[in-house]
Amino acid sequence: MIRHFVIASTWTAAFLVATTGAADPAVDYARDIQPLFTRSCAECHGPTKQKAGLRLDTAAGVREGSNNGPVVTAGKSAESRLVQALNGANDLKQMPPKEPRLSAAEVARITAWIDHGAKFPAGADQPRKSTHWSFQPIRPSAPPAVKRTDWVGNPIDAFVLARLEKNGIFPSPEADKVTLLRRVSLDLTGLPPTLDEVAAFLKDSSADAYERVVERLLRSPHYGERWGRHWLDLARYADSNGYSIDSPRTIWPYRDWVIRAINEDKPFEQFTVEQLAGDLLPGATTDQKVATGFHRNTQINEEGGIDPEQFRVEAVIDRVNTTGSVWLGLTVGCCQCHNHKFDPLAQREYYQLFAFFNNQDEPTLPLGPAPKTDTPAKGKKAPAGLTTMVLQERVTPRESHILKGGDFTRPGAEVTPGTPAVLPPLPAAPQTPNRLDLAKWLVSPDNPLTPRVIVNRIWGVYFGTGLVETENDFGTQGTPPSHPELLDWLAAEFVRRDWSLKDMHRLIVTSTTYRQSSASRPDLETTDPRNRLLARQVRLRLEAELVRDACLAASGLLDARIGGPSVFPPQPEGVFRFTQVSRTWAPSDGPDRYRRGMYTYFWRASPHPALMSFDAPDAGTTCTRRNRSNTPLQALTLLNDAGFTEYAAGLASRVLRDGKATGPDQVDHAFRLALGREPIELERQRLAAFLEKQRTHFAAYPEEVTPLLEGAGPAGKMLAKLEETPAADRAALLLLARVVLNLDECITRE
Amino acid sequence: MNPPDPLLLQTRRHFFRDCGVGLGAMALGSLLGREAQAAPAANPLAPKKPHFEPKAKSVIFLFMAGGPTQFELFEDKPELQKLHGQPIPESFIKGRRFAFMNTFAKETPKLLGTKHKFARAGDGGLSVSDLFPHFAKVVDEVAFIRTVATNVFNHAPAKLFLNTGSPQFGRPAMGSWLTYGLGSEAQDLPGFVVLQSGPRGPRGGALNWGSGFLPSTYQGVPFRAGGDPIVNLGRPAGITADRQKDTLDAVADLNKVRLDRTGDPEIATRIAAYEMAYRMQTSAPELIDLSKESKKTLDMYGAEPGKPSFANNCVLARRLVERGVRFVQLYHADWDHHGDANLHLDGPLETICREVDRPTAALLMDLKQRGLMDSTLVVWGGEFGRTPMGEIREKVGRNHHIDAYPMWLAGAGVKRGLVHGETDEFGFGPVTGRVHVHDIQATILHLLGLDHTKLTYRFQGRDFRLTDVHGEVVREVLT
Repeated sequence: MIRHFVIASTWTAAFLVATTGAADPAVDYARDIQPLFTRSCAECHGPTKQKAGLRLDTAAGVREGSNNGPVVTAGKSAESRLVQALNGANDLKQMPPKEPRLSAAEVARITAWIDHGAKFPAGADQPRKSTHWSFQPIRPSAPPAVKRTDWVGNPIDAFVLARLEKNGIFPSPEADKVTLLRRVSLDLTGLPPTLDEVAAFLKDSSADAYERVVERLLRSPHYGERWGRHWLDLARYADSNGYSIDSPRTIWPYRDWVIRAINEDKPFEQFTVEQLAGDLLPGATTDQKVATGFHRNTQINEEGGIDPEQFRVEAVIDRVNTTGSVWLGLTVGCCQCHNHKFDPLAQREYYQLFAFFNNQDEPTLPLGPAPKTDTPAKGKKAPAGLTTMVLQERVTPRESHILKGGDFTRPGAEVTPGTPAVLPPLPAAPQTPNRLDLAKWLVSPDNPLTPRVIVNRIWGVYFGTGLVETENDFGTQGTPPSHPELLDWLAAEFVRRDWSLKDMHRLIVTSTTYRQSSASRPDLETTDPRNRLLARQVRLRLEAELVRDACLAASGLLDARIGGPSVFPPQPEGVFRFTQVSRTWAPSDGPDRYRRGMYTYFWRASPHPALMSFDAPDAGTTCTRRNRSNTPLQALTLLNDAGFTEYAAGLASRVLRDGKATGPDQVDHAFRLALGREPIELERQRLAAFLEKQRTHFAAYPEEVTPLLEGAGPAGKMLAKLEETPAADRAALLLLARVVLNLDECITRE
Repeated sequence: MNPPDPLLLQTRRHFFRDCGVGLGAMALGSLLGREAQAAPAANPLAPKKPHFEPKAKSVIFLFMAGGPTQFELFEDKPELQKLHGQPIPESFIKGRRFAFMNTFAKETPKLLGTKHKFARAGDGGLSVSDLFPHFAKVVDEVAFIRTVATNVFNHAPAKLFLNTGSPQFGRPAMGSWLTYGLGSEAQDLPGFVVLQSGPRGPRGGALNWGSGFLPSTYQGVPFRAGGDPIVNLGRPAGITADRQKDTLDAVADLNKVRLDRTGDPEIATRIAAYEMAYRMQTSAPELIDLSKESKKTLDMYGAEPGKPSFANNCVLARRLVERGVRFVQLYHADWDHHGDANLHLDGPLETICREVDRPTAALLMDLKQRGLMDSTLVVWGGEFGRTPMGEIREKVGRNHHIDAYPMWLAGAGVKRGLVHGETDEFGFGPVTGRVHVHDIQATILHLLGLDHTKLTYRFQGRDFRLTDVHGEVVREVLT
């Protein structure tokens, strides 16, 4: 230590002699200054820890400063926080906090460097660059050459087949026609095909029969519901305020805006701008303002004794994190408290994004008279008129600061709106950028992330997994794409086709890759057990809302109206026993009883149990991919939830109304209505035996018929009225329908 | 991917050998082979090996929702009694934020003594007030921590914090982490069960036992006190047990046919899920039927079959851990005694103490008598404590307080008769032995054989933990 000191002193003395007087070009930051920081400071202000947001192991970090602002003021060492800290001056804790501290000579050397202009080496002021794949520009390449050119339906297939051929794997044959039709109908509209649609498709042997089905489905208004619901997962849409009180809210006009926008194929670019900044568009229309409901889906804490500012800030933070996940596929939330550990994102940059979202009021927008519903939410006064929740820019901007440790009571240096330096810059503008500039930047053609993230997420819905498996992390900790060229080709295509979502859906579902059979391939169990190379399609359990929709559609009970206030289908007793504020749930007896699952009123603190059992998101934060679990509670739901027994009664009535009188005909018809296909002989026999057994039973115990039919809700009462069929037959048929609706295949898209 | 669990494979093999219909030997071989390689559909609740030898197998968490007042229960502070009615010294509260800031902003809050009498209980030096006479007799069974600190002072965020390690939404609850890490020994019941008593459910509702980013397999299953214990457990109206059995048999047979044709192991999982659902329809009603308990046992708890109460839930909790359920959480509300007309430190506090005191003590003794203390960890506490200063509304109460509040642990691997941590003269903050909520979480995982820094789940490119990036096991309370 002593020896070290002596050497250092000698050296510094020489240095000081040499630098006395005018600015000395001989001072070299890299040689003379940086090593001091690296030795004495980098443990707390370095690559692993950045206390106070300060990094001193790189020149860029020293230049950038801490959460409290710059630490070096060129030419003025006495005003530089760095020097003050080294000396423990100006009420700052002396740094480093423990011995060994810097020697007086070393401090003098740093002081001299600052006073001589604090010259940094070239490049220290350059924005951070990254070689990580997702930050690089999208570079579409031509579809690769393949051997089996006949398999290539569109360029997607060339990319997929090239990989398969390279690995010596054959793709799977095309799925049979009924499976394919049920798959694409569920994927594009969330509803299974009708019997007529199946028959027409089977009969149609023209070369473009499938493509015409796809066009029909893309034109269906249910397409907007299906893909709108995916977007609502991202938007964390719900019908209540969340937290403890969980009051009802009206924001379904936003939900309906999403459905309309998707149906109109509003270019994703416009779709983005209107949701993030519709209010800032020149002459903003009511619709464009409604769209800003996207970021009003944050929760509101109405608990007594809260500090409103705390929860306002939490909502802003949620908006930043959601925006980062939804458009950039980045875990920006990590930077709330510290610089990103893995990705080139600084805490300062997080709060620059925060600054865009820190300047809004949260009014409700009047929309005219309230529509009538079957069952208004009890405990809530019917509003005089319909309103929806929107965002509105404040006239006087709020100041934004870095929040130390993410704590709103500890503001640090002030920040202005800005975007992360690792991405292409915001276009230069005379005024401070606002949300509109941010929205446009997110969908600017040179943003490498947004198009990739969006097409990847769509892909993941069709194949169970995205090309990038970590669909919510395109950063360095995410998985690299399985087919990078395909991802870039799709992303470029998305932009080239004016951000048309329908075009992307059409491209994917008409590809040969998509149309493959989903049957397991024993030959791939060692080479590609997770099907990353896409040598087959996958069986996917339907999403929570679609489990209901598929059964409702089979039953013939479905009320296919689009949009409107959320509805109250039956739900089991006692759901509110586990919440702070008990809500009443008066189930509708009218057509609202049979609306699609996406319209079920969503209380954040007590969602409909059937939705939660099947992995519907809790609307707490943005959900970029749903889990797909397979649990006993799901079995209990399908078996015992009164709603599903009612659908079974509907399906039984339908079989009778369609004139099916014999057991085998009834079996076949119920099977077709639920699954689209004909049963195989084994299935037919098993179901016929079941039906016969139940019929015999009910004939022997006629007193069991009425309780069964009466227990199945309005649809059971309908079935009870079909008196031309013997009662025992009707009861048996209800149970048969219930078996069919409980089959794994019924709630699975193959 | 984890190697397949031999027990699970054995179960599957048994299942297909004894119950298989239309499933050839080839298909069976292929199915088992698939599990061996990718295991995409292995039963996620099958028991898993912990990181190290566990002390406890199950947890019963008595969640005192609302934040119990330590000053009426455990904190005997002569200085507080002496200075009753005096403003709290400025040094304690300068620059501090509290819930209900407005009430506190009007004037410096005044110290509030208690009316209740304390007496030394047990050998560890704990004082217990006259509100908890039964607990006073069993304090030597527990390790009492006076000095738990949390980060947030509003109910819903603080409950989430204690349950999930974060005041924000989207993280899995402790019970979800435990069943994710350990599976469950219960074959006929969910691994994570939530019970509730008192006038209302906990603030935040389902988010308190949500599985966050973990699959919903791990979410807590609320058991209701009356009617069907689990939503949709009972057969629909008009469907008899025989019809249900026929239905299940047909569904199983047809699902097996489809499994044979598609080879999708998810179908095998679904078949197993229906089997378990069927078993639950028997086991859950049997579980909640307290009529089989002896009168002596029921009296000890103060439980009355058919009358929902915290006492009944304590009996149920014991029955659940007897059956191998991993994590049982009992919420009892409402401890939020601010001084409102119906929530203040007189009658309402006395009532809730009566509801909780006897069953809590009985649970400890019952577990002990049955030898279950050796495999069960009992945790008692709320989301925060209350201020030594009074809060005057219509009546007298106390505000939320997060610096030092009481919790206790008891059972497997926990020291008996220990009091950990000391608070200052007013019980405002810790003097020694501060324990953070993350430390409590780390300790609970530790007792179940899990290293809280290693029980992780990768989500959004980051390995998440129950304890975020914090938490130290509280070694002082371990045997």
